Amino acid sequence: MKKDRKKKSVTDNTEPNQTLPKKQGRREFLLKTGGLLAAGAFGAVPLRGWAADPVNIGALYPTTGSMAQIGVGCVAAAKLAVEMVNDAGGIKSLGGAKLNLILSDVQSDTTVTRTETDRLITGNKLSAIHGCFASALTLIASEVAERAKMPLITGSSSDQLNKGRTYTFTPFARASQFARAQLQMSKLVSDQPKVAVIFENTAFGTSTSNGLKELAPAEGVEIVMFEPYSAGFTDASPLINKVKSSGANALFSVSYLNDLILIVRTVKQVGLNIAINGGSGGFVIPDFYKNVGKLAEGLQGVAHWNHDMDANAEKVNVEYKKRTGEFLFEYAGGLVAQTFMIADALERAASTDPQKVRDALSTLDVSSGYAAMAPGGKVKFGPDGKNVYGRPVGVQWQNGDLASVFPKEDARAPLMKT
Amino acid sequence: MWETVAQAVINGLLIGGIYALVSIGVTLIFGVVKIVNFAQGEFVMIGMYISFFLANQFGIDPIVSLLVSMPALFAAGVLIQHFLIRRVLGPNDMPQIFLTFALSLLLLNLALMLFSANYRTVHTSYSDEAIHIGGLYIPVAKLIAFVVAMVLSGALWVFLHTTDLGKAMRAAAQNRDVATLMGINPNRVFCVALGIALALAGAAGSLLMPFYSAYPFVGQVFVLMAFVAVVLGTLGNVIGALVASLMMGVAESLGIQFVGADSGLIVVFAMLLLTLAFKPTGLGGGRAR
Repeated sequence: MKKDRKKKSVTDNTEPNQTLPKKQGRREFLLKTGGLLAAGAFGAVPLRGWAADPVNIGALYPTTGSMAQIGVGCVAAAKLAVEMVNDAGGIKSLGGAKLNLILSDVQSDTTVTRTETDRLITGNKLSAIHGCFASALTLIASEVAERAKMPLITGSSSDQLNKGRTYTFTPFARASQFARAQLQMSKLVSDQPKVAVIFENTAFGTSTSNGLKELAPAEGVEIVMFEPYSAGFTDASPLINKVKSSGANALFSVSYLNDLILIVRTVKQVGLNIAINGGSGGFVIPDFYKNVGKLAEGLQGVAHWNHDMDANAEKVNVEYKKRTGEFLFEYAGGLVAQTFMIADALERAASTDPQKVRDALSTLDVSSGYAAMAPGGKVKFGPDGKNVYGRPVGVQWQNGDLASVFPKEDARAPLMKT
Repeated sequence: MWETVAQAVINGLLIGGIYALVSIGVTLIFGVVKIVNFAQGEFVMIGMYISFFLANQFGIDPIVSLLVSMPALFAAGVLIQHFLIRRVLGPNDMPQIFLTFALSLLLLNLALMLFSANYRTVHTSYSDEAIHIGGLYIPVAKLIAFVVAMVLSGALWVFLHTTDLGKAMRAAAQNRDVATLMGINPNRVFCVALGIALALAGAAGSLLMPFYSAYPFVGQVFVLMAFVAVVLGTLGNVIGALVASLMMGVAESLGIQFVGADSGLIVVFAMLLLTLAFKPTGLGGGRAR
């Protein structure tokens, strides 16, 4: 029993001084995150020993390496989500069992992701995993999880995750849906959208822009300019000159940040009145606005989650903002919802067995509460693990905040004309 | 039609001014010290970060921060010449090449470690402004950069032709042994040359900051253009590098406008190859040694 009392709600696998509980930082950490929950656990312990055993949830995120910035935000959200579930009484069908988050740093590296996922599954008695956000890492983690028959739920948008997998669940919009949403957004700008597509001449740029080109006729969007450029150029003026003479009223830029900044700036200098949509990319995170500032105002994009979609999302956003100082970005917000989906499955499975959790996830059907925090407000998985109601949300930078503007059902602010 | 061409020429000249600052530095070092400085782009990057942090922390305008970035990089140039390059100035070229190349890699990775790979931008009141004349427009930030770049180039020319130190530098460039015999201290001249070259790179960085983002790899973008300009304008020829840089800016701009946005550089390299085929010493003429 004594052992149980010492158990914390959050176990950090990556923490090197796990055997030094006397360290000041650790005590503080415990006080902040675990104190309340540990107190709750005391109450549950005397009832029956096994009933209060915490349920282990694995979380795979890169907290070091090139993707660390987003990964660290994800971890903060993962901890918040577990606290929320536990504060609300844990898993009632398991005697109020608490969720215990086991974190693992996948170091932004595919090889490490493979070994860490394996280690996480074999070294702990897990019930489910969420994670990775980055598609390249998630694809690997999902492979390992499938083999170990461990349910994995992820915010990654890669369509490949829905092929030949039975333990992988994707509650949010798929990559293939993003292009369509982007084209539909251009109709907010004008009844007769004339779109100029400029893209960097790389695999990423070419495949994304070709997707847009293929879908455009069906969506009734005219593409008046379709032009590749060399990534990392020094001067966007000649390119924007071309956009100007094409007569486009919307500009889709398939670019990485640096080029996008240059393009946005040049459009302003030329005095060109055009709506810019950057699609889905790294510019829907808080850091983008910090780096780019006012230049970002009015910039449109597509995300799989946004913090102002519904009242629940806004509530979580307030709490997350209090802790990190930044708004809840798409991956972090999405994984809070994912944690509640796992909790919902555990509740119905009344078991910590991964196979039973997987079966419960496959019959998940929610339309209210934190688990339903997704564009559209409904989550139900099809046989391919895809949310049958999944759709992206169109967003726009407005006054330093990312506002949902598309589709109508999710919109919380009208599109700001630039 | 003429409007499009005129606009492309304006864009090209403006960006060419920045290429000029970088390439003049490279050509000056090559002309005087006879080494190729592969790290020149990284000093542009450092100049950009200096301006970024001054703007971010103290709200200093990037153009004003020239007064910090130029002296700082001048000092860096003197120190690098005195403690590093001086040691490898022998008959063998290889150590010099490896030294500047290693310096480039070191600075690049240090920047990655210290500043991360994020893009940093500075927003000034004139960053998005442009002067509109008829159907043409001239971005204010680039115009300022161009004017300052031309003033600095002019000042360098005056320095090289009217001051004793400048004349000593040209003498050392023309014939190091004879210059030494005439009582010129080569190390002192080399230190000043390195200092001026790096200060110009720093100036390019500060001037870029209002309209371009800083990131650790940013130098590579400009150093490629600088090397082409240096060869095109004859190695070691300052005026040649300046003219070649402006030509390249215009060629690139016209290339993007009329060939394709992903092939602007085709025109630049075609120009380089044609020049070398018909005038192997470059446009600057016989001053190459």
